[in-house]
Amino acid sequence: MPASTDTPSLPRLATREVLLRKRRGWFFGLSGDQFVKYVFQGNAAISIIVLALITLTIFKDAVGFLPQNHQNLRIYRLAGLEYVDLFREQVTAHSTMSRYLASVRAQRLDLLLNKEGLAPAAAMTRLADFDAFANQFADTINEQETLLGTMTDLTTNLKERQKVAEDLVEAKRNYLDAIPGAPPERAAMLQTKADVIHPEVIDFKGEIQPLLAMRPEIAAANARQMAALKALLAQAPKFTDADLNRRMEKLQGFVSDYFQEVEAVVPKMAAWDQTKPVGWLESFNAFAFGREWITASFWQDWYGILPLFAGSLLIAVIALCIAIPLGVASAIYVSQVARPIEQKFIKPYIEFISAIPSVVLGFFGIAMLGETLRRVSQMPSLSWVPGFPMSERLNATTAACLLALLAIPTIFSLAEDALNNVPRSFKEASLALGATRLQTMVRIIVPAALSGIVAAILLGFGRVIGETMVVLLCAGNRIAIPNLGAGLGVIFQPVHTMTGIIAQEMGEVPHYSLHYRALFMVGVVLFLISLLVNWLAQKIVRRYRIVAT
Amino acid sequence: MVTTLAMPEPVAPPAAPRPVSVAPAAPVNPAARAVIEIDDVDFCYGASKALHDITLNIQERQVTAFIGPSGCGKSTLLRCLNRMNDLIDGAKVTAGQIRIDGVNIYDPRVDVIELRKRVGMVFQKSNPFPKSIYDNITYGLRIQGQKNKARLDEVVERSLRGAALWDEVKDRLHESALGMSGGQQQRLCIARAIAVEPEIILMDEPCSALDPIATAKVEELIHGLKKQFTIVIVTHNMQQAARCSDRTAFFYLGKLIEYADTRTIFMNPANPQTEAYVSGRFG
Repeated sequence: MPASTDTPSLPRLATREVLLRKRRGWFFGLSGDQFVKYVFQGNAAISIIVLALITLTIFKDAVGFLPQNHQNLRIYRLAGLEYVDLFREQVTAHSTMSRYLASVRAQRLDLLLNKEGLAPAAAMTRLADFDAFANQFADTINEQETLLGTMTDLTTNLKERQKVAEDLVEAKRNYLDAIPGAPPERAAMLQTKADVIHPEVIDFKGEIQPLLAMRPEIAAANARQMAALKALLAQAPKFTDADLNRRMEKLQGFVSDYFQEVEAVVPKMAAWDQTKPVGWLESFNAFAFGREWITASFWQDWYGILPLFAGSLLIAVIALCIAIPLGVASAIYVSQVARPIEQKFIKPYIEFISAIPSVVLGFFGIAMLGETLRRVSQMPSLSWVPGFPMSERLNATTAACLLALLAIPTIFSLAEDALNNVPRSFKEASLALGATRLQTMVRIIVPAALSGIVAAILLGFGRVIGETMVVLLCAGNRIAIPNLGAGLGVIFQPVHTMTGIIAQEMGEVPHYSLHYRALFMVGVVLFLISLLVNWLAQKIVRRYRIVAT
Repeated sequence: MVTTLAMPEPVAPPAAPRPVSVAPAAPVNPAARAVIEIDDVDFCYGASKALHDITLNIQERQVTAFIGPSGCGKSTLLRCLNRMNDLIDGAKVTAGQIRIDGVNIYDPRVDVIELRKRVGMVFQKSNPFPKSIYDNITYGLRIQGQKNKARLDEVVERSLRGAALWDEVKDRLHESALGMSGGQQQRLCIARAIAVEPEIILMDEPCSALDPIATAKVEELIHGLKKQFTIVIVTHNMQQAARCSDRTAFFYLGKLIEYADTRTIFMNPANPQTEAYVSGRFG
């Protein structure tokens, strides 16, 4: 461009000078680029460090569970609780039979009232025979219950003393730990305080002698009980109804099973070894494969994750069964079939669902869904459905219906992305060969996007298994392994979940107690599941990504 | 089916060999029948008009090349011939007719699925499905309900031989098609197109992504294919048009400037714009 000669041209540096010129920093000697780089670097570093610290803390608190639970199980054995539980099983088995008799009675009463049309008073007189039998049957356990009561008192007392002693040891250690570094006066005071504490050292071996000494008594009582039961069964009442008679015969079977159990109890108790050490693996297994989660019990706490894990899994599976067809089908529709105007409407609408706070969904579940489901389940025309009518308003299905709602946006969005990422050229090639739109979709586009769809489903699973509020409010919160004996009806049982238990109990447990650490262990399990799900999803996407040439 | 629309010739049964017409030494065969008749066609993408008043006839079993600078509408016209433009929202033929075997393919009664079975297409970028070579070739037949394994095997071999690919891939028919080289992939796409035995094959710049050796192979293939098929090819490469086509149409800004046999277009064009383009002075 020809410069006009009137205007003075700007001074121009030689290339040599420009190339070697030092760039002046404007922020503490940093140039703009460097400054921005350090800001981002700092942010990234902070988030990584914070995440690492959180993970570490959780793991640290969780790992402490193992030695504490080990101690818990050790006391269970030393104080003889395990020994008493061997005997308790027998008593529990007996009461199961008594309950069975009660159910037979209920059936009989129902027959008398509804089939024979008797008045309640008359029905009661007809039942008098049976009631006398049932009462005598129940009475056969009285001796054992008394014995068990005595044993329970002995051992709980022992455990209580051990607990007090442990607390004192802890207090003493706290005083002693505070001495180094304290001013001399205070140190002296702490020392005297520590000195007056004399925690009891319990001689478990000696203390449980009375317990062991009761064995002959138990054996004698058991022998008497078996004789009484035999005599009683010989004069068991007979019914006119065939079904009831069959049930009574079944009782005979139960009793002979019970006899076997009773005969095994005393030898088992004799074989019990108080001094057998508790293995570390036992402490872990009691958590990983424990079938019971019992806390704050006067007797013995158990922290087995199985009921919670099974509950979470059951809910997640039901939720996915609902969410996968809905989410994937709508993704296919929106990405392949819908007109642009429908896309504009449907996509934000589905994604909007994830904006509903889960506590609101849970509230909706309690207030509306649970009740509606129960009403529907009570309709006589639906009685063929397994599990209907539902006994509980809040159960795994109630929660799963709402969780499905939360998983649908995740599955929908990711599956839709996967479908949209299928190269357009595949679609064109298929159509140009004379395929219909449906054929193109089913044979080309969905298979090509399958890895993405599977990843979407996995992440939907992650979303469901990690969800807390909805399950806490709507799953029924009964801590028990779902009873698969109910067949498909299992999905209408109330369950508790891993997330729910943490939310429910974490606020109430003393810090660093065994219970507290058990909850952290549950948290770690959740963490590992999420990690696994995400890792798998990524792996699948990477492994099967279509290389668009 | 197109046959239901009173197509003059019934389709030959697939197994029977087609009558092979000897390719004429001279590029023009005056006796050849016009299989595609394009009459006064206007085409719009929404409000913008992409084709103005195009009229040309395409002869049976000849290679017809569409040339012209980018954006001249040659690909658009090609995609009108099997109605691939239907996939684009707001794109439509606003005037005129395109007749194949005398049937207006934009007639509402025309089954577009059947049309595309008769008018195959090979795309600019090779686009094999992420399936095995075998499944790629048989896709077109399988969606028509062909399940007979022996028949499918036969078609795979015939199509791959037809696309000069058989010897290269016969030992790995069940491996993924995505593992082939670019040129092989494009020939696979041609094999896939001829497996459904169309009348007409449309090729949209089939060699633009290929190296010269692969290009030469495809061109050779085109030369062989015209014994059986009517081929319409869009190309940017003028040497390619000159080498492998019988007739050439030159488009510019959505208008057909000149349409004649290839020798005339390249040696003795009537229109100065054509002359400027083929001699490389613009475009």
